Amino acid sequence: MKIMVCVKQVPDAEAPFSISSDGRSVSVAEGAWRLNGFDAFAVEEALRIREAFPDTTVEALTVGPARASDVLRRAMAMGADRGIHILRPGEDDPLPGEVAALIASSIGGRQLDLILAGVMAEDDMQGQTGPMLAEYLGLPCATAVMAQKIAPAGEIARVERELEGGLREALELPLPALLTVQSGINRPRYPALSHVLRSRTQPIEIIHAGRLPVPPRRERIVRITRRETSGKTLFLAGTSREKAEYLADYFLEKALL
Amino acid sequence: MGEAIAVIAEAKGKPGFFTEEVIAFAQALREDPTVPVRVFVPGMGIGVHAHELARLPGVVVTGIEGESLACYNAEAWKTALAPPIAALKPRFICVAHSADGADFAPGLAVRLGTACITAVESFRRTGAAVTFIRSTLKGKLSMEIAPEGGMAVVTVLPGSFAREVPPSGAGKNGRNGAPIPPGREAPSPFTEEKGAKQKTVEILGIPPLALKTRTLGTIPVPDQSADLTAAEVIVAAGRGIGGEENLALLGRLGACFSRSALGASRAVCDAGWLPRSLQVGQTGRRVSPRLYIACGISGAPQHLAGMRGSQCIVAINQDPQAAIFQVADVAAVEELTLFLPLLIEACLKRRGTGGRG
Repeated sequence: MKIMVCVKQVPDAEAPFSISSDGRSVSVAEGAWRLNGFDAFAVEEALRIREAFPDTTVEALTVGPARASDVLRRAMAMGADRGIHILRPGEDDPLPGEVAALIASSIGGRQLDLILAGVMAEDDMQGQTGPMLAEYLGLPCATAVMAQKIAPAGEIARVERELEGGLREALELPLPALLTVQSGINRPRYPALSHVLRSRTQPIEIIHAGRLPVPPRRERIVRITRRETSGKTLFLAGTSREKAEYLADYFLEKALL
Repeated sequence: MGEAIAVIAEAKGKPGFFTEEVIAFAQALREDPTVPVRVFVPGMGIGVHAHELARLPGVVVTGIEGESLACYNAEAWKTALAPPIAALKPRFICVAHSADGADFAPGLAVRLGTACITAVESFRRTGAAVTFIRSTLKGKLSMEIAPEGGMAVVTVLPGSFAREVPPSGAGKNGRNGAPIPPGREAPSPFTEEKGAKQKTVEILGIPPLALKTRTLGTIPVPDQSADLTAAEVIVAAGRGIGGEENLALLGRLGACFSRSALGASRAVCDAGWLPRSLQVGQTGRRVSPRLYIACGISGAPQHLAGMRGSQCIVAINQDPQAAIFQVADVAAVEELTLFLPLLIEACLKRRGTGGRG
């Protein structure tokens, strides 16, 4: 089976960040970019399928500037066989419609049995790239998948996707198909040191975005701003003990204790 | 491109009932409030539901009926909805950012060749231009996006738009004077007025579709969350509590209150520290206790959707930028393993003196 996992490099949400002078992109310090957490679940799921289906190859693909190759190395350190980097220079974060079109063009007529992606990126949280890519490729698609099982002959996937209120929906999709993976479907493995070392020498195929058909850009980012607190939030001041005493008084006033 | 605005209703039988909120959003988006919003209702046996929706002010309904639409299926939804929407050429196509909406809307946008903006919380109008506002980076940032002309598919994050209008009561009016639809009333089908009035419901039949995907139905989950919805106080754990071993501290804090329960963020359930049934959020439980104590929770919009109805929100997090602080009434920027023992001690001291310490 041939599996492709779409991965994205995102800023560590806990790291200090800055907004570019044009107000349209966000950056963090060099060491604070990492593999999108949702995509780590997708990579792990691909590796588990490979364990169940010998003769499976797992390739990781990303779209981004030169620094984004780090997430391909990370996916390979987890166990992916190879990496494909659609090199798109520039620090502006492309919108999902553009990313999905670039990936679809790069695949061309290549046969894949399964494409996996995280349900969304932790940074822009749009959740569009996966289902858009499926539409471009004419593949059946399920999003927010919490469980998957591929039939022994590898022709059909039975999946459960997450609904509201803790419910799930079961569905069957013939392969090839695209699944976006919800967090919690598995526990992504931590790369073994031997794999980390090996990943440094594994090949990454580079595809220049500029050589692919120009993707559509149907929307644009006007500005990115820091969220303000509602103004009604009271930030406690003083020592830790003083804050604790204040809070306990507050609970008492509200007759909660 | 017309000025019409379309809404795609949620499938019947699904847990999310967000259609009315999306209609309210769509109505507020209208430039001309006399133009009704066109609500598309895909399904099977949808007559009653279609007429019910058509009773809302400023709404006309196009039901799309076919056996392939008996239950939600992304392929069927895209195939059935694309032609009538393409014919209407609405400026905006509004969909709930529910499990289903997020599933089919991006693909529908590609099929229609439109812009797509998801998990939208509000919009801004500048002259004739409209931009959409949404959260990024776990809610720390706000991103404003503009469609580049043409049509746009917009998914509306449940709970984010409705909170700007009173949740209940008569005589409601939203921003821009948009009428807010009444709550779900007892079904009273076929009350469509006869005569010269504009026809408010049309039903289009579609032939059976050849679908690759087969929907097998919903899987019920054992509900262990009765405590969660009944609790007066919820102590909720986020990934920021550091480790499973620190849950005991949250349990001890909860024990200071008489009717408390433990809740969790998605990340905590993903890590297996607490069962999935305790997850609070858009896809977990929606709770509204008297007091919600968020411990080490970053505050992604999907989590806020499940708890922002709480009467009082206390947030404890060591990251002063955490988005949870945006909705908190009281905020403590503290390291939990150091702070919670102090808070527990202070609470117990007050209980120990008969609650009047």
